[in-house]
Amino acid sequence: MRFTVFKRAATASVGLLASLFMAMGVAKASDVTISHYFSGPFMSVMGDVFDDFNAATGFTMKDSPVGHEDFKTDILVRGASDSLPDVFSYWAGARVQFVVDSGDLSPIDDMWNRDGLDNVVAKAIADSATLYNGQRYLVPMQFHYAGMFYNKKVMSDAGISEMPSDWEGFLALCETLKGQGITPIALGSMNRWPAQFWFDYLILNTAGPEVRAGLMDGSVGYDAPEIAAAMSIWKDLVDAGYFVENANAQTWTDASDKVAQGEAAMTLMGTWITGYWNDLDMEADVDYDFFPFPTINADAPVSVVGPIDGLVVSANVQNKEGAEAFLSFFVSDLETQVAWTKAVGAVSANVNVDPSVYNALINRVIDTVGAADNFAFNYDLATPPPVAEVGLSMFQEFMENPADYEGILARAQESAAAAF
Amino acid sequence: MERDALYWRVILLAAPIAVFTALVIWPLLSSFYYSFTNWNGFNPEYDFVGLDNFAKIGTDRLFASAIINTAIWMVAAIFLPTLLGLALALLLDSKVPGGTIFKTLFYLPICLSAVVVGQIWIWIYQGDWGLLNTVLRAVTGSDFSYAWLARPNTALGSVIVAWSWQQTGLSMVIFLAGLTSIPDELLEVCDIEGATAWQRIRIVVIPLLTPATVVVVALSVINSLKGFDILYIMTGGGPFHSSDTLAMHMYNESFKKYLMGYGSAISVVLFLIALTIIRIYFRNLRKVDEIYG
Repeated sequence: MRFTVFKRAATASVGLLASLFMAMGVAKASDVTISHYFSGPFMSVMGDVFDDFNAATGFTMKDSPVGHEDFKTDILVRGASDSLPDVFSYWAGARVQFVVDSGDLSPIDDMWNRDGLDNVVAKAIADSATLYNGQRYLVPMQFHYAGMFYNKKVMSDAGISEMPSDWEGFLALCETLKGQGITPIALGSMNRWPAQFWFDYLILNTAGPEVRAGLMDGSVGYDAPEIAAAMSIWKDLVDAGYFVENANAQTWTDASDKVAQGEAAMTLMGTWITGYWNDLDMEADVDYDFFPFPTINADAPVSVVGPIDGLVVSANVQNKEGAEAFLSFFVSDLETQVAWTKAVGAVSANVNVDPSVYNALINRVIDTVGAADNFAFNYDLATPPPVAEVGLSMFQEFMENPADYEGILARAQESAAAAF
Repeated sequence: MERDALYWRVILLAAPIAVFTALVIWPLLSSFYYSFTNWNGFNPEYDFVGLDNFAKIGTDRLFASAIINTAIWMVAAIFLPTLLGLALALLLDSKVPGGTIFKTLFYLPICLSAVVVGQIWIWIYQGDWGLLNTVLRAVTGSDFSYAWLARPNTALGSVIVAWSWQQTGLSMVIFLAGLTSIPDELLEVCDIEGATAWQRIRIVVIPLLTPATVVVVALSVINSLKGFDILYIMTGGGPFHSSDTLAMHMYNESFKKYLMGYGSAISVVLFLIALTIIRIYFRNLRKVDEIYG
């Protein structure tokens, strides 16, 4: 009797499980699976994009979003088990290169040429972000730019009306602010990456893009004199008390809050900070503004730094036609590009987007990037992931103990050499 | 009927064995396999590198500091909750007023997940407005703003305190249960013979609590070996690897640096360490069983 009940229960469970697996396994031919790291307020905008795409093409986007930091691990696990979604968002540069070299992405040259994306994507971005080993793999969702974002009221209260363009002017600005009891620079290096923009700009503005590119590909060591020189400038800023205390204990939003609340004057951050501040009811050009990283060596080419998020198609794609159609739609559809880039506080890489849809501040970002000699990916997207881990921890150690920067660089070189 | 029963026993046992094999045995063997490769986690192609990954362990500065941190973590995570739990149990057993309320309060943290405990302590340790610094500022009158979790000297210790705060309640409850099994006659003899409180605890109570201590230490060892979540939430092994344990180091190498082969080698070492500790533990457990039946 007892076992009859068991039998029934077991049979029912097996039946239930079987139907569950069948339900999970059945995907319609029109479905396109996608995974991305845009959560929170960006979800609803992404949802709108899916709706528009579905209506326009007859495909159905099946979304499985993952938190930004968890995404890095999640996609690795899915890659290892050959269960990548058809489409996923990824960071252009060394990270996409890593996945391309692992054979996990499908090239999209045919779609790129068929849909004439050469006439859609800005050439500088197409050249730097979409080509890997001579083939196209990515369409840019948007690009960001890292600049010195500041609180306008704090600056004007301190009697500063003009923002510096050179290093002497920048040091004078910091000294003035500090003299008035305001911490000049907020930095939240708890999650490590916010510190990288300092490293990037200091190297690019002193040693130049070639040395920096060498550092990123391993041909220049972390113990090279040019790198030490850049770090010593950074050390001088920390020693002078221009940075907030306990930077390693704060996130980038903590640092942004400090600037928003007037406890610090500025922070070197990507354009996504505008989206964050707008959500705090701050207004561009009224409450906040930005200036480009000041020139240190006038002979060095003008460089700008930022990340480009892109969409890629996995090698195990189930619905290639739908996946490529979505990539093409995302970058080409003007309504989508405007809605998306405005939501995430970024700039469209689509040349057909009318700049007048953006506010004056973003237009100055577009001009700044357009006038630069060199667009560089930020550190953790420019060097292979195993090396980037070494550098990111190095920045944190530097913020704890800047006096030991030469020792820190020597240890970083040892670890980086092993990782390359 | 008998055959039917046996048939169903086999069938029903097959399911957990299959799950155990798929989720424990198979990944374990895979780790051993990949520890001899240079697999990056993404690329289906990889090479066998023999013992290179294990040789690299010998020169890895971060591995050396992770092993020291793991030792500190394990010793502290075993001793602190055990000693604190014993002290609280003795205190509450002496019929303090409101004992039941205190028992409940001390036990509550164990009902919370490590993520929740971690987040609560992140707020307590927060440099600017955290409870700890607020109290210290009020007491000392200074503008103390030490970032406990962001400084290399205090990050690991701060997590250990949070961990002990959660685990102490469990030890306390087990010791309290142990205390109720001590015969009243023995304690009365202590009173009659004029034993001091300390003598009573040292000579009668603690030896008779041995079975409870065995359980507490066993749970502490097991919990400390799998104590990854709270460290991951609170420091992620940071700042700059100063609170990395072996499990955290293995995670970073595998999933952040994409060195899955090397990460597997670290996990093999971690497995062997865990195996050794468990063997030592069970050997001693048998001795305790022999003495106390």
